[in-house]
Amino acid sequence: MRGVKPLLRSGWGLISGVVLGLVACSPNPPPAARDLHAPDSLYVVPWEQVEVYLQAAPSPVQVSLWLRQEKVKFYREPLHDPTYAGRYSGLQGAANLGIYLTDMAYAHATGRYQEAYDYLSAVNRLATTYGIEDIFSIERIRQLDKLQDKPDSAQKLFTQYYSEVQTRLSETGQEAMLRHMILGGWVESLHIILHLLEKDPQNQPLAEVILLQKGLTPLLVRLYSIDTLQSKASQTVLNHLQAMQKTLDALPLGESATVTNAEVKKGVIQMQFRSQAPLKPEEIRAIQSHLAPLRQFLVKI
Amino acid sequence: MTKIPLSLGIGLLLALSGASYGQSGCRQLIPSCRSAHIEDFSWDGRYWRAELYGGETTEIYYTFFRGLRYRIIPCGRSSSQAMPHLRIYNANRTLLLDTRQQGERPYWDLELSSTQLLLIELYYPSGDGCVALLIGHRASEEVAAVR
Repeated sequence: MRGVKPLLRSGWGLISGVVLGLVACSPNPPPAARDLHAPDSLYVVPWEQVEVYLQAAPSPVQVSLWLRQEKVKFYREPLHDPTYAGRYSGLQGAANLGIYLTDMAYAHATGRYQEAYDYLSAVNRLATTYGIEDIFSIERIRQLDKLQDKPDSAQKLFTQYYSEVQTRLSETGQEAMLRHMILGGWVESLHIILHLLEKDPQNQPLAEVILLQKGLTPLLVRLYSIDTLQSKASQTVLNHLQAMQKTLDALPLGESATVTNAEVKKGVIQMQFRSQAPLKPEEIRAIQSHLAPLRQFLVKI
Repeated sequence: MTKIPLSLGIGLLLALSGASYGQSGCRQLIPSCRSAHIEDFSWDGRYWRAELYGGETTEIYYTFFRGLRYRIIPCGRSSSQAMPHLRIYNANRTLLLDTRQQGERPYWDLELSSTQLLLIELYYPSGDGCVALLIGHRASEEVAAVR
């Protein structure tokens, strides 16, 4: 049944009770910072309220394949530090799972296999927190690493692993954590794409991804407006998302979403959309200025 | 037309007809549809399912990238043996395509000229029943030929 799932499972309940108790006793951290590490019982959200919006953002596996098609260059500087992985938990841990998976996907898409391996190892360190360590076990990571010269096979395996993560988080009552993982993956994808756009402002396919955020960000806003009463960390995420939405609202999305032709040929639906003018450097910087504090909130130690 | 959250449909089913069909009937749609139609497309684990009654529809937002080909697999049969259909809208909720105008198919492949966030509405033209949706992806044939 996929009705309201009991998020507070027995094991989590015990752990979360102890952790919440410890957090409550600690003297100083501000509420948002404290909630960043809280267990998933804090983020109790009815499943039917989130699932409509949950899958709107692209998964790292899709982003990975698309970046490979676009033949983008590799830049190390926008990526997160994989050595921090062991320090995250709660919302932050799940968000960083998405961030590291996206960094891995980008490294893999650009043929940087050593970096991809480092990020997969970071995912492995985080995975134990969410009971998915078997999916990203060292043995499986090595298996993936052996496919360096077969990117299509590696892509399929990565897709399978990501699929298993989603299923596992859903089936073990960790939908709220799945939501944070998707948020982290989304933030990191945008962060990387904005960096690539800064280097290549005329790149239309990259600009298209930024433009569609105008429609996507309101869905994430709805996703995060649900549990803000319980969680200050969610409230902070929501504030950042709302600030981003205001900036995106000023972008001229309307034209780019206009279809000029939609037809079905041999079972394939083909849709042509009106092309869009490239983003201006100041527009790229404006979006970056709102995304950066949100990403910083998710990655800070 | 009533729009319902996906899981709410499951809840309605449980209330009306008991838990056993809702759990087993809807659950079985995903693996059977996947094995029947996904072929060489990659599936990233996302799926949707709902119970639709009396003309209800259910919505899915999804980001589609230019240069990838997608396989959209609507699964299920209504009580009147109708196949599920899709209405595809852009981010501004303008209707782009209704597959009902294109006949019945077990899946639809999709390619876009630019990356877009689209809204897919699933519905049965007649009857009630469980419906599910899977979306697979792979490089488009044009791009794959170049590589």
